[in-house]
Amino acid sequence: MAIATHGTASNYLQRAPSPSGLADVVELILDKGLVIDAYVRIAVIGIELITIDARIVIASVDTYLRFAEAVNRLDLTQTEAAGLAELRDGGGDGKAKGMVEGAKDALSGEGDRKKERAKRG
Amino acid sequence: MALQSPTAGGTDASAATALYLYGVTWADVARPQPGAGVHGESVEAVPYRELAGLTSAVESTKVPAKRRDLLRHAEVLGTALVHGTVLPLRFGVVFENGTTLVEDFLLPRYAELTQLLRKFEGRVELSVKAFFREEAILAEVVRANPRITRLREATRAASDASTYPLRVELGERVAAELQERTLRDRQALLDRLSRLAVDVQVDQQPIEHQVLGASFLVERERVALFDDAMNELAQEQAERMHFKYLGPLAPHSFVGLTAEAR
Repeated sequence: MAIATHGTASNYLQRAPSPSGLADVVELILDKGLVIDAYVRIAVIGIELITIDARIVIASVDTYLRFAEAVNRLDLTQTEAAGLAELRDGGGDGKAKGMVEGAKDALSGEGDRKKERAKRG
Repeated sequence: MALQSPTAGGTDASAATALYLYGVTWADVARPQPGAGVHGESVEAVPYRELAGLTSAVESTKVPAKRRDLLRHAEVLGTALVHGTVLPLRFGVVFENGTTLVEDFLLPRYAELTQLLRKFEGRVELSVKAFFREEAILAEVVRANPRITRLREATRAASDASTYPLRVELGERVAAELQERTLRDRQALLDRLSRLAVDVQVDQQPIEHQVLGASFLVERERVALFDDAMNELAQEQAERMHFKYLGPLAPHSFVGLTAEAR
């Protein structure tokens, strides 16, 4: 029954033992888990105060223009290695950091790796 | 092991206290968690036969969903999971007192709860999220689709009204390519991971650049294998994806009670 964090020499991705970000905990605790019939569940107040940083994709002209702008900003000479590395082993050094996510990524295993920011236009 | 009576905690039963419920576990593995609960209250077990509700006193039946208390709820369940199987409750379930907890929940649901606990014995939930790295995936899309390459060249110089229709078309085609890649790669990830799991729940809510959001129910002894598979994927996909990997968790995504028959 031990819950040791699995650690190997080639640990590329660290498993986090518990949710630490608000979005994760909200998803886990407010959206999931046993619900008991309404008559015993007493009101939870304050949920509306919580903001979740998940971005929902909405197919709209605004979204399209944003994608167009992002594509036009790309410096393809910088990200060449990344683009060609699709579904096979990495190894190029053009590690591009997502522009949009940012704050949401805190929990990912990226802390273990050296991030190299791709040059931005 | 100090299994407490329903009115544990030294609080006066006549005071306006209520009982917050975190989850249900086996009575013989239920452990008190001093000061770990919502509002810093101590977590105590309220036993009924082989079952125990993990509870703490709350002042009011209205519990604000504050960040700190949401985290505490998750942590209490995480600690309980170290000692044994636990059925996690959603945040905010409050009973008047230990007697109503037993009479309204543990007793009428006894058969179902014991069955669920047996079902999840030795199994934990692992949460996996994968996201495209925006620059990498966009570069991939531009290279893979000649029409997108041409539209990009045509609109790069000027983002004024003259290129507006072309920019809308460009963005629309990029969105379609992203969607196709999301679905394709999601399936590829699921194919690799699902065979190590007893069950899987896939989040269908579309989130920008999220390739996969899924919870896997995994035998404890296979968690190390799952870690290895995740590490392989993270390494293979390092250029174009990053991952969030969480667990072991109580089976939040897999528990459910039947609707009450009345």
